[in-house]
Amino acid sequence: MTRILDEIEACIPALRRYARALTRDVSLADDLVQDCLERALRKQTLWRPTASVRSWLFSILLNIRRDDLRRERRAPAPLPVDTLAAEPATGEAQSARLAAIEVSAAIAMLPPDQREALLLVVLEDFSYGEAAATLGIPLGTLMSRIGRAREQLREATERTPPARPTQPARLRTVK
Amino acid sequence: MTAERHPIREEDLIAYADGRLGADRRGEVESWLRDHPNDAARVDAWRHQNEAIRTAFGPVAAEPLPARLDVRRMAAARRAGSGRRYAMAAAAVVLLVLGAAGGWMGRGVFAPPAGSVSLIAEALDAHRLYASEVVHPVEVKSDDEAHLSSWLSKRLGIVLVIPDLSADGFRLIGGRLLPAGGQAAAQYMYENDEGQRITLFIVPAGKESRSAFRYASSDKLEALFWSNDKIACAIVGDLPRDALKDIATRAYKQFG
Repeated sequence: MTRILDEIEACIPALRRYARALTRDVSLADDLVQDCLERALRKQTLWRPTASVRSWLFSILLNIRRDDLRRERRAPAPLPVDTLAAEPATGEAQSARLAAIEVSAAIAMLPPDQREALLLVVLEDFSYGEAAATLGIPLGTLMSRIGRAREQLREATERTPPARPTQPARLRTVK
Repeated sequence: MTAERHPIREEDLIAYADGRLGADRRGEVESWLRDHPNDAARVDAWRHQNEAIRTAFGPVAAEPLPARLDVRRMAAARRAGSGRRYAMAAAAVVLLVLGAAGGWMGRGVFAPPAGSVSLIAEALDAHRLYASEVVHPVEVKSDDEAHLSSWLSKRLGIVLVIPDLSADGFRLIGGRLLPAGGQAAAQYMYENDEGQRITLFIVPAGKESRSAFRYASSDKLEALFWSNDKIACAIVGDLPRDALKDIATRAYKQFG
């Protein structure tokens, strides 16, 4: 029991990161993690290691998130991109930060299914197989969700080039 | 030549961008990308997406944890019987009253017809409201199963068993009493190891009596309805229809 508590504890930073990326709201994300931990503690005596603790915790978090969305039907508030675009873009770090802001705003526009799948793989570094198992979907479905998410992100970010006003787009590809 | 035998698919491009291809396949994809600048541009954009996503959210994991996410403290509080639950009881009461008032007002305005359609709608609403509740998902918990069964039987005026769905991986959390179409309804809630929840919503059978299984789906929730000469029951969950049907069949047999 203490060992499983250790394993749960080790996953909390990753759960917070994932919840933050899903909701883009600090307190909503921590609510989600807290609910997830409550539910996990309640179930830990029943849990048998058919999957990793990490995969188990993420699937609990996702189930709570889906239940919440159904109850509240509340869309995430879009990030005010306009105010950010006004900041001067100086140097590479700034440009990376703007790209991050841009992609995070675009992620918020993705359907929840695609967002969940893409973030498990890219942000949490789940293998494709582990991500599919955590989401309870076949591998082919996972790959097509990731593919659609990537294309939608690409279209969304390419439509808004003014996010780096002082940096010509071609500079980005120079390495 | 190799590329002709194993054409490069979208999945290969994605796995390449994610750095998850073996060395052989990676070489094949690289030679494909040299000849297909459009795909090369897409893969390049995906890699930038990956970097941007990690830049945007990666640092969250390094932030200090707030006290409320201290899992050891939470575990200790659970063992001690938890003072926190008491603090959250007020919120749950408000929710309960809202649920009841919403149901009552809705009934006055919409006056739903008797029968399966309104029952399924009420079962779906009740599921949405309570399945997301973490601290008080039920009124009476499963550790008091005998009391739960006799209490709900008495209130519904029928002998009501509590189906055992553990063969499907679902364990009883507990149940509650709800209003439905001017009469009492029982809701049982079950949960599996992954935290997925299903609910059974039960009212005494009306005049229409027996029916075959009927399905409805709404916002990714599947509902399955049937009635026999004693009860009408709707089972609700975010499960594939076949899985829900297996569970419903098991419950149906136990209701007798």
